[in-house]
Amino acid sequence: MPSFVPTSPTTLEEQRLYTQARLVEVACLDCLAKVAVKKNSEHHTSIQWNAEAVEACPELGRREGASGSRDGHRGCPRLLASIDVAVREGQIPIGAEDGY
Amino acid sequence: MLDHGTTPLRYARGWHCLGLASSFADGKPHAVHGFGTKLVVWQDSQGKLNVLDGYCRHMGGDLTQGEVKGDHVACPFHDWRWGGDGKCKEIPYARRVPLRARTHRYETAVRNGQLLIWNDPEGSAADHDILPPELPGVAQQLGETSDTYTDWRWEVVPIEGSHCRELIDNVADMAHFYYVHFSFPTSFRNIFEGTRATQFMESKGRPDKSEGYGDAELFLKSEATYYGPAYMINWLEVDYKGFETEVILINCHIPTGPDSFTLMYGITVKKPEGIDDKTADYISKKYAEMFGGGFLQDVHIWQNKVPVQNPLLCEEDGPVYQLRRWYEQFYTDVADLKPEMTDRFEFEVDTTKANEYWQAEVAANLAKRESAEV
Repeated sequence: MPSFVPTSPTTLEEQRLYTQARLVEVACLDCLAKVAVKKNSEHHTSIQWNAEAVEACPELGRREGASGSRDGHRGCPRLLASIDVAVREGQIPIGAEDGY
Repeated sequence: MLDHGTTPLRYARGWHCLGLASSFADGKPHAVHGFGTKLVVWQDSQGKLNVLDGYCRHMGGDLTQGEVKGDHVACPFHDWRWGGDGKCKEIPYARRVPLRARTHRYETAVRNGQLLIWNDPEGSAADHDILPPELPGVAQQLGETSDTYTDWRWEVVPIEGSHCRELIDNVADMAHFYYVHFSFPTSFRNIFEGTRATQFMESKGRPDKSEGYGDAELFLKSEATYYGPAYMINWLEVDYKGFETEVILINCHIPTGPDSFTLMYGITVKKPEGIDDKTADYISKKYAEMFGGGFLQDVHIWQNKVPVQNPLLCEEDGPVYQLRRWYEQFYTDVADLKPEMTDRFEFEVDTTKANEYWQAEVAANLAKRESAEV
């Protein structure tokens, strides 16, 4: 069934730009999780997980147990530290490209 | 060019709140508009709340204008009696009830003192695992009361001319809090995963405004999660003039048509130590007015804007596209779900540049006002 259907073909390209462009793979230094990261600035971070990465992260796995808990609302500190290291080592370019 | 797109031809799959359970528990049939039709809600003799299509499967009579007879709702047209399981139980003038006499029923659940129903255009069984959580200390079932939280203040606001996705977009929209709600968002993060989407925000009120959240001495720490497409719990730590209050805001809606919905919000306040119930209720009333005012500011924007499929974002904007990708899962057949709709996604907005500019703008507004007063 049709849902929110774009009527302009360029909309699909925009969707791709904002959700996929400039993502860099970062491997966690503590577990086997690999995520895709984008940084528009030092402070901005965008982290795209997939099911495999969530499965590999013991921190998120531990939180899943407590259903209804608000724990899952925080990021994994080990992954965030790994991203910081990747930034320091210059693996993640910092700065947006025309808003995406 | 703005791509207005087309609105979906279906209503979201998931749990939708119809209102406070107590408001349906008076032995009468109640009407709630939803999913392009009218629903009938009533309480049976066991205290259970039932929800059916509001129009009688016989000849289309309006069940919400009927009567509750025993455990059943009776149609005002020919007195057909319907049970909460969706079956016709009795036709007083007929020898027997046709076996096929069934109508559309909605599965129900009571959470946090509110009635929720499951909607799915594909007709799946309700998924109780993805119900919103029970809030500790908040009265759950009918007849319960809470020692720690005030009773819900519940408001209903019908919205015409907007699809409910406009409301959802707010989850990712950092900058509108300054322009529409008159606060400085100093910290802003999102996490989307599975059927949940969360916004974390810390903000302080604008000193140059007195409506909305505008107030130099108002600090908010807000954590707001959508549990499915239509029910958000917003945990708020409010610091007003150094007085801290824990507020829980429910922001929920039910779509009524392709571009209309009923917005509902509820407020409960954790009763502060050493404060009597009357004062606690007064505090909850004040916060209900404040957040209610906030919703009306949004409504004004929605009713005058156009739908946009291809928003053009700057780097200080939140993850609107990822949020909409998450939201789309509720409008997609289960067989067609894509992993990226539910995969975990985290985002932190850099609010530094925005706040530098906003602080300067507010300072200029205050200076202008002062010189006008001299």
